[in-house]
Amino acid sequence: MEYVIQLLSGALGSVGFALIFRLRACLLPLAALGGLLNWGIYLLLFHLTGNLFLSAILASAATAVYAELLARRLRAPTTLFLVPAVIPSIPGSNLYYTMRGAVTGNFDAVAENALLTLEWAFAIAGGISIVTVVFSVIKGIRKKRVNSKENLSK
Amino acid sequence: MRDKKELSELLHLFLDIGEGIHRAGGEIFRVEDTLSRLGAAYGADRTDVFAITSHLEVTMTFGDIELTRTRRIHGGGTDFRRLEAYNDLSRRVCAAPLSPAELRRAIEETRGVGSRLPIYIGSALAGGSFAVFFGGGLLDGVAAALIGLLVCLMQEKLPAISQSGVVVSFIAALCTGFCACLLSLIIPILMPDKIMIGDIMLLIPGIALTTAIRNILIGDTVSGILRFTESLVHAAALAGGFMIAMSLLGVQ
Repeated sequence: MEYVIQLLSGALGSVGFALIFRLRACLLPLAALGGLLNWGIYLLLFHLTGNLFLSAILASAATAVYAELLARRLRAPTTLFLVPAVIPSIPGSNLYYTMRGAVTGNFDAVAENALLTLEWAFAIAGGISIVTVVFSVIKGIRKKRVNSKENLSK
Repeated sequence: MRDKKELSELLHLFLDIGEGIHRAGGEIFRVEDTLSRLGAAYGADRTDVFAITSHLEVTMTFGDIELTRTRRIHGGGTDFRRLEAYNDLSRRVCAAPLSPAELRRAIEETRGVGSRLPIYIGSALAGGSFAVFFGGGLLDGVAAALIGLLVCLMQEKLPAISQSGVVVSFIAALCTGFCACLLSLIIPILMPDKIMIGDIMLLIPGIALTTAIRNILIGDTVSGILRFTESLVHAAALAGGFMIAMSLLGVQ
């Protein structure tokens, strides 16, 4: 039940951010699906492996693949689908508990949550970057192939 | 062959497009890529583009004319509608170049400001959803949604008072913290921490931090470091605002 609530509210949160970023209304369902996918994959992997960093990086990589494919299909910038979809991974609560630790003088909580915040940020960015690089390499190989074919036909 | 005056005007318009893409939330490599393509489409022999988060610099060579223009970029946010408009425009222009006057008109068309209503709805929805997402109850969600509207209002009005994003973040965090703590003092079943976490999501530089690390990982090092530093300062300002509100009202 807790997972269902998280998935639904995460997807709604993605839609909220898509609205804030003025995404076209007809693309909003894709933002919801992206958020669902992102958090769903994370929950599943974390349930299976118990490894936060690994689950987070794979979930954000999967989300980036989703965004890249949609962008190619709809001929729109990848960011449109990527940014709202990774929103549920943004470690808002860790940042909050870092602050609360500082207010209450609990410096163990500060250290733990600050590190978790950074771990999440690196995992999200790492997952996305790997996919960005893979897609640009594939694009480069395709271009090269097309060019060499053109050269051959000359 | 175009004369120097016309080329200079063209380059100015290219900078408008580059600045527009960047301020609408386009990535650095998208800005550089678009401007290089535009240069090639208009027959430049060579186009060199250097962009970082706050600065744009383009040198174009047409035969024996060489032009360099720079542009300081202030602020910027995320506006997907505008980003798409610029993207479509540059794709169209690369396929069939427009005259400078036509290009200027097309750029002005992309600048239309839309209604802020969806942004208010989005802020309420996102704030409320994330309060629930991070373990709050339905009531906490409603409270966070209401405060989300306030956050949106502040994000609209505060920049007129201060140019600095850090100051805006600090004031917004302070007010948000006060509202959440006050609400939970009046209605004791509310959980102030969950409400604040929901609304922190609206203020947090999470996307900026992630973008910064992505920039560094794919080689836009300078932009990445600039953004990383900016977002750490932002996070500190947010933390300061919330901490002051929490300690003054004695809510932990």
